Amino acid sequence: MAVLILCGFGLLILYSASSYNGQVRFGDSAWYLKKQFFAMVLGLAAMAGISSIDYHVLNKLAGPAYLLSLVLSGAVLLFGDAYNGSRRWLSIGPLSFQPAEYAKPAVILLLASVVAGASGSRDPRGVSGTRHRKTTAADPRLRRGGARGRIASVFLAVLPIVALVGKNNLSTAVIILGIAMLMIFVSNPKYLPFLWMILAGVGFLAAFLSLEAYRLERLAIWRNPELYEKGYQTMQGLYAIGSGGLFGLGLGNGLQKLGFVPEAQNDMIFSVICEELGLFGAAFLVLLFLLLLWRFMVIATHAPDLFGSLIAAGIMGHIAIQVILNIAVVTNTIPNTGITLPFVSYGGTSMLFLLAEMGLALSVSRGNRNIPL
Amino acid sequence: MQKTKSFHRRKILLVFVCCIAALLFLIGRLAYLMIAKSGYYTTLAEELHERERSIKAARGRILDRNGTVLADNRTVCTVSVIHSQITDPEQVIEVLCTELGMDEETVRARVEKNSSIERIKSNVDKDIGDAIRSYGLDGVKVDEDYKRYYPYASMASKVLGFTGADNQGIIGLEVRYDELLSGTPGTILTLTDARGIEIEDTAETRIEPVAGNDLIISLDYNIQQYVEQAAYNVLEEKQADSVSILVMNPQNGEIYAMTNVPEFDLNDPYTLTELYIETQLSEEDALNQMWRNGCINDTYEPGSTFKIITAATGLEEGVVTLTDTFYCPGYKLVDDRRIRCHKTAGHGSETFLEAAQNSCNPVFIEVGLRLGVDNYFKYFNQFGLNDKTGVDLPGEAATIMHKKENVGQVELATISFGQSFQITPIQLITTAASIINGGIRITPHFAVSAQDADGTLLEVYQYEEGERILSEETSATMRYLLEQVVDSGSGKNAYIEGYRIGGKTATSETLPRGQGKYISSFVGFAPADDPQVICLCVINNPQGTYYGGTIAAPVVKDIFENILPYLGIEKTLAETETVE
Repeated sequence: MAVLILCGFGLLILYSASSYNGQVRFGDSAWYLKKQFFAMVLGLAAMAGISSIDYHVLNKLAGPAYLLSLVLSGAVLLFGDAYNGSRRWLSIGPLSFQPAEYAKPAVILLLASVVAGASGSRDPRGVSGTRHRKTTAADPRLRRGGARGRIASVFLAVLPIVALVGKNNLSTAVIILGIAMLMIFVSNPKYLPFLWMILAGVGFLAAFLSLEAYRLERLAIWRNPELYEKGYQTMQGLYAIGSGGLFGLGLGNGLQKLGFVPEAQNDMIFSVICEELGLFGAAFLVLLFLLLLWRFMVIATHAPDLFGSLIAAGIMGHIAIQVILNIAVVTNTIPNTGITLPFVSYGGTSMLFLLAEMGLALSVSRGNRNIPL
Repeated sequence: MQKTKSFHRRKILLVFVCCIAALLFLIGRLAYLMIAKSGYYTTLAEELHERERSIKAARGRILDRNGTVLADNRTVCTVSVIHSQITDPEQVIEVLCTELGMDEETVRARVEKNSSIERIKSNVDKDIGDAIRSYGLDGVKVDEDYKRYYPYASMASKVLGFTGADNQGIIGLEVRYDELLSGTPGTILTLTDARGIEIEDTAETRIEPVAGNDLIISLDYNIQQYVEQAAYNVLEEKQADSVSILVMNPQNGEIYAMTNVPEFDLNDPYTLTELYIETQLSEEDALNQMWRNGCINDTYEPGSTFKIITAATGLEEGVVTLTDTFYCPGYKLVDDRRIRCHKTAGHGSETFLEAAQNSCNPVFIEVGLRLGVDNYFKYFNQFGLNDKTGVDLPGEAATIMHKKENVGQVELATISFGQSFQITPIQLITTAASIINGGIRITPHFAVSAQDADGTLLEVYQYEEGERILSEETSATMRYLLEQVVDSGSGKNAYIEGYRIGGKTATSETLPRGQGKYISSFVGFAPADDPQVICLCVINNPQGTYYGGTIAAPVVKDIFENILPYLGIEKTLAETETVE
């Protein structure tokens, strides 16, 4: 239900935010809306389809699905279409497709499958069958046992996709890495190693940032967006947010979307929400997301098995990370990076796979009812 | 399939709690941005969105004393094309060519130029602008605008002045009363998108312009017209460099006419007139020369007209009376210098009255010497000759006078008949007027009153009554003396039957001497017993005869003959009574 509200809300805002850019670029104010609506219909169909099947079927497909994502991410590096300076799209006929978005659910599935299987092999009470072993057997390193080793091996399994995606879409790579870490954190009883990992992650990030000057510049812009020409996007976003006030200017009355906020329909869409609907509208949206996350938590904690639980947790992590990072970026709480707001920002692939993930969660949820607790 | 364990649930809960914390923090951050800093960002955003267009205010008019409009506004149009909005370029080119009378090549180049907005022609008459607008062509814009317009083109050009591109006064009354005339421009504030295009349906804030106020001046269109004609006549007849004529009310300082011919066209002030085209000056200097108001901006040696001041001083101080007798041998020795009279043979024995009629230099030198430097300077100051007159036109020149401590007998002698120092024509006529009007210093001026666009009177300009500079008796004596000069002295060429005219002639050689360049002048007033009008005519470098009494006095006579009846001044003497 929350998903549907979010989608509807998202479409409305998207229309408002994108009508100007659509008008200017394509001569059709509903250009973005139509594309998004098409993706949503497709996504809802996928959601309905996936929710009706038993998620355990996907356990088998996790490995191949992951391999497919690797292939697609590799392919996009070679044959991808560039748009806005980044090569992120694969064209199949009239449709274009962002493999990075597909990689997210693929990784969730893979990790849920691997972790659940790996735990299962260690746990005598596990109902697990041989089919899990087969998956894990594909990676001999996983057998070496030990919590740390398992964590490391899971990371090793994820790293290729992170590297491939990160090649030209750093933000998505960070999200995938974050999802992976979250899922492993959930699956492991210990706390301390994760603290170390967070520290190591911070260190890695620092090294990564200082590696290239333009990333350090982003930091400087973050501190004082007014002073830099490249702080334009951030400042325009802040103008929009600040203009909103308590109740906003009213839906469709925002001015910043009129070419001032770049890509108003994408990453910066939240600033348009703030401008038009004010603090209440923005808080309402955030609460809607919280409701959704709460639903995932309930599904995850009540899932009939670890596999389902981890899937739900992964999806929760995915959405939480994107929502938090997106709003943090728009409010200039963290340095600027391109992360979309789930269900609201424009992006067909993203919409499609998010809804597919919802289907997965629903499937897990249905499992809850099938197996009474 | 493995079951979820309690630590799994705990950890999922922990992750969820972390998410809640993060989202709550972000809501807090949002609240901070949207409430605490809302004003700051809203202001910045509004600045970004608003475009300001200014609407010109109609400039106030300048009216003469009878309400004749001397400076007006005309609605003109600017025709421009917006390339991206043109749908039928051929028709646009055709219409613009025929309506604006421009050649096709020029119009085509502008219409086909890919710019955001291209001006085709500005200052187009409103009729033509309306005609073009009636075609309803896409992409053709006709904007209305005000332009200063002077119905009488060159009349009183140096007095009125003209305005620049932003309707701001450049010279003359236009700049002196700029604040009154200019009004307040209005603005249209519109919201625009990032490309600067106006957003439809947003309320635009419009601040209406406030039209400027009208200025009513003492100038009289008819007198000015006649005076200019008279000045042009003598300019041409005597092949002079320039002619300046001032007509003033000696009682209150209202200026009826002021001209410096050649004048220039106020509707086209940047085109040099004939006189200045062939000069060696740079264009800017030539323009400045052309715009100069000689009556106010330039000084000259007044010559014999200044004997009015010497006579008044001598009579007031009691060092001379009209009946005192003098002897003129044709020169006067001062220290070791021999200063000649204009009549080298000498005037012989004469009374002071006769000396004034003869404009006899040695007699006036004698009066000057009798006064002494201290006395002479005291009156010079008292008459206001060291100050500016305070006329309400910009750029009045100051008197160029000796320092008192440098003045010896020779200098005093030359000052006494109006040489070796310089004053402006406005200063001379103002001082002369003050001497004959009963002895009260006046402030020459144009501005009479101001009214708003609806005709409501806003202000009547008050000019302080000046100090008494001379006793009434002396003033009366001076009027009699100067009337005698016109009746039967050097000023007789200004004599008009039936009128009592007073006046004084002057001829002075310009510096450096010996070039044969002269300035001839005459100052006259009427009626001599109760002066209502005073007129000064200064002819700069006349060819041929250059005596003021011969060439300047007839000009003033001609003017008086026409304007005295116009001013309602009746002939007071029966023609039979006239002395001849």
